Amino acid sequence: MNRAVFVMVGSLVALVALVLLLPSDSARRPIAQSRQATQGQSSEDEALTIYCAAANRAVMEAIRTDYEAEFGVALKVQYGASQTLLSNLEIGGTADLYLPADDSYLAAARHKGLVDEVLPVAEMQAVLAVPKEAAVDLPGLDALLASSARIVQANPEAAAVGKLTRDVLTAQGKWEALAARTQSFKGTVHEVANDVQIGAADVGIVFDAVLHTIPQLKAVPLPELAEAKARIAVGVAASTAQPQRALHFARYLSAPEKGQRRYEEYGYRPLPGDPWADTPELTLYAGAMLRPAIEQTLREFEEREGVRVVRKYNGCGILVAQMRAGEVPDAYFACDSEFMQQVRDLFPTPADVSQNELVILVPKGNPKRIASLRDLTRPGLRVGIGHEKQCAMGWLTQRTLRESGVQADVMNNVIVQSPTGDMLVNQMQTGSLDAAVAYLSNAAGAAQFLDAVRIQGIPCSIATQPYAVARSARYPQLAERLLARLRSAASEKQFTQLGFAWIAHSAGKALAVDVER
Amino acid sequence: MNAPPAPLSGRRAHRRRWSDAVFLTLLAVLGGSYVALIVLMLAADACYTTPQHLREALAKSEIQFAIRLTVVCCSISAILSLWVATPLGYLLSRHHFRGRWLIDTLVDIPIVLPPLVLGLSLLILFHIRIGSWRLEQWLRDIAGFPVTFHVPAVILAQFSVACAFAVRTMRVTFDEIDPRAEAVARTLGCSQGQAFLLVALPQAWRGMMTAGIVAWARSLGEFGPILVFAGATRNRTEVLSTTVFLELSVGDLQAAVAVSLLMVLLAVLVLVVLRLLGMESRR
Repeated sequence: MNRAVFVMVGSLVALVALVLLLPSDSARRPIAQSRQATQGQSSEDEALTIYCAAANRAVMEAIRTDYEAEFGVALKVQYGASQTLLSNLEIGGTADLYLPADDSYLAAARHKGLVDEVLPVAEMQAVLAVPKEAAVDLPGLDALLASSARIVQANPEAAAVGKLTRDVLTAQGKWEALAARTQSFKGTVHEVANDVQIGAADVGIVFDAVLHTIPQLKAVPLPELAEAKARIAVGVAASTAQPQRALHFARYLSAPEKGQRRYEEYGYRPLPGDPWADTPELTLYAGAMLRPAIEQTLREFEEREGVRVVRKYNGCGILVAQMRAGEVPDAYFACDSEFMQQVRDLFPTPADVSQNELVILVPKGNPKRIASLRDLTRPGLRVGIGHEKQCAMGWLTQRTLRESGVQADVMNNVIVQSPTGDMLVNQMQTGSLDAAVAYLSNAAGAAQFLDAVRIQGIPCSIATQPYAVARSARYPQLAERLLARLRSAASEKQFTQLGFAWIAHSAGKALAVDVER
Repeated sequence: MNAPPAPLSGRRAHRRRWSDAVFLTLLAVLGGSYVALIVLMLAADACYTTPQHLREALAKSEIQFAIRLTVVCCSISAILSLWVATPLGYLLSRHHFRGRWLIDTLVDIPIVLPPLVLGLSLLILFHIRIGSWRLEQWLRDIAGFPVTFHVPAVILAQFSVACAFAVRTMRVTFDEIDPRAEAVARTLGCSQGQAFLLVALPQAWRGMMTAGIVAWARSLGEFGPILVFAGATRNRTEVLSTTVFLELSVGDLQAAVAVSLLMVLLAVLVLVVLRLLGMESRR
C-alpha cells in the first residue's frame, strides 16, 4: 500500500477514534443534575441556558454552584461579550436568560423584543484604578489632569464605563479635557484594568467591581464620577420555552440573601431586590368590577412566574376601610382614583391602567324608554345604584347625579344600594329593578338580557382605575412585574372586551420602569 | 559544462569573505529579530506567571476538560481539512475548468474574513428560516444532532478556517509537483484516479504533512468563530483559546498567561511529534 493511501486509511481510523474521544454532554453533567436525572426527569430538557457577560463569570460560577446544589436544576452558562451574546440571542434565540455587563444591552434587547421581564441585580461605580502600591493624592479630576499620569479609558462607543464617564463629565464640561489627556481608549473595562496592571498606564477608569478580582490594583473614587453608575440586571429571553424556571432563577439571582449576597462578595453593590421565596405569595386588593378583566391575566401571571397571587375583590370603600385598619396588601388595583387617593400614603406611585364609564342599565329592549338620568326621576321607577360608602361606583354615581342636578329626585326612586355592580346586574336579571346605574363593564357579561344607556355630557361619570404597589410590599418587584402584565397587550384585550377604555402605557415601557427603579 | 572558478587573489577572496559575512549577518539580524521577538514574548509570559499558576491551572477540572476538547477538536478539524484540501488542491492545480478562478477566490474568503464574521455567518446559516424550516432545528429535533453551542460547532468553526489554509498549502504543493510523471503514468495505462493515488499523492506527502500541521495549528488558535458559534460554556464547549479570553475578561492575567503557556507547550509538543513523524517517514 503506498504511503499516501496508508495515511488516508490511517486518518479515517484516527477520525473515528477521535470522535469516540469527544466528551459527551452527559458525561460532564453536574452532580446535582445527575441526581435529578436519576429521579426520572429529563434534566437536559430542564437545564436553563444563560447568556452571561464574561465579566460576570467569577460571581456567576459561584451562584451556579449554589443554585444547582439547592434546586438540582442544571445551569448552562454561556459566557461572552455582551454584544456578541445579544447577537446570538437575536439569531439563535436559544437562551432562557440574558445577563449582560450592564443594563444598556438589556434596553437594546427589549427594544428588539428579545427580552421580557428584567430584574435588577447589582450596581457598579466608575472609579480610578491605580496600582496598589501607588501613593495617590487625587482630590479631583483637575488634580489628575494636572499630573503626569498616563491615563487609559474604555472607548465610550464600545464599553459602558466609557460611555458613562463621557456622559457624566460632558454634563460637567470636563470631558474634552480628560479625552485630550487620555493616552489610549480600550475596547473593554477589563482591558483598561489589564493595562494598569501590566504597567502600560498609571491610571484607568474602571468599575469598582472589576477591581475585586485584581488584588494588584486599588480603587480611588473621583468626586466628578460619583454619578457614573452602571446597573447589572438579568432579562428573561422572550424565546424561552420555560419562563417559570427562568424567572425562578432570575428571582434567585436578584434576591438579597441569595444571588445578590454573592454579588456583594465579589465587590458589586446590591440593588433593592425581593426577598427569596421558592413560591412567593403576592396579596392583591382589587375593586370587584375589575375581577372579570384581570382574572385571566392573574392566572397567567401565576403560571409564568411560579408564584401565588392572593386576591381580594370587594367594593373599594370596603377595601380602603380594611387597609386603614392595618391590612395592607402588596398591591392595590382601585376602581377609581378617588379610592387610591384615600390611601395614597400607603401607595406612593399609582399608575392609571383603564377607565370605566357609568351607564344606565335597563332590561333588553328598554321597555320604560329610559334615555337619560332625568328619566330615572319618573315616579314609581325602581332604581338601583352602588353604595356610596362601599364602592367607587356608588361614590361616582352620587357625584354624577349631583352634577346633573337630579340627585334628590333620583334618590327618591332608589330602592337598593349595592356594594358591587355585579349585584345590581343580578337584581336587574331577576326583574326586581327597572334600571340601575352601573359600569359599562358590568353590562358586558349580561348583554343578552340588558341594554346600556350612555350618560351624555357629564365627564365625571368616568372612573379611572389605578394600580399601585404598597410602600410596605414584601415583594415590590414582583408586584411591579404584575403591573407590567396588567399593562400588556393581552390584558388590554381583556379590558376592552369588557367595555373598559385603555389608558395604560405599553408593557415595554412598564418593564423599563423596572430597570430605572 | 561550466569551467571551474578561477583562483581569486588574496585581497579579492578576503573581500568576498567579508561580503558573505555581512550578508549572512544581515540575514541573521533580519530573520533573528523576529525569532527574538517570539522568544522574548514567551519569556515575558513565562516571567509573568509562576510554576504555581501553571500547576493551579492544570489542576482545574475545567482546564483539563478544555485541553482534552482542544486536542481532540483540533485533530478532527485537521484531518477533515486534509480530506477536503487534498482533492480540492489537486483539482485547482491540475484542472482548468470554467469558474475555477471563482472557486479559487471563494476558498480564500475564510482567510481574509474577520473571524467573528465567520462565526456569525455560521450562526446565521444554521438558523436562517427557509419557509418554516431551519437547519439547526432539523438537526436538533429530527436528526438528534444539535450543532450550535455544542461540540460539533467547535469543530465546524475550526474547520471552516483551518481548511482554507490547508487548501492553499495543498494547491501550492501540487503546483510544485511536475505533472509530467502523472502524464507518463496515464500513457502507461493508469486512470486519472490511479495517477492521482499512485503518482501524485506519494509526491505530495510532505505537503500533506504541512497542510495537516497548519490546519491543526490554525484550529488551536481559532477563537472568534468558536465564541460566536459554539459559545464558551464551561465543561461543554470551552476550548483553551476561549479560556484565555474568559480569564482576560475577568482581569485574571496570571491565569490567562498560564493557559496561554499551556497552549504554547501543547502546540510545540504536537508540532514536534508531527515533524518527527514526517522525518521518520522520509527516511
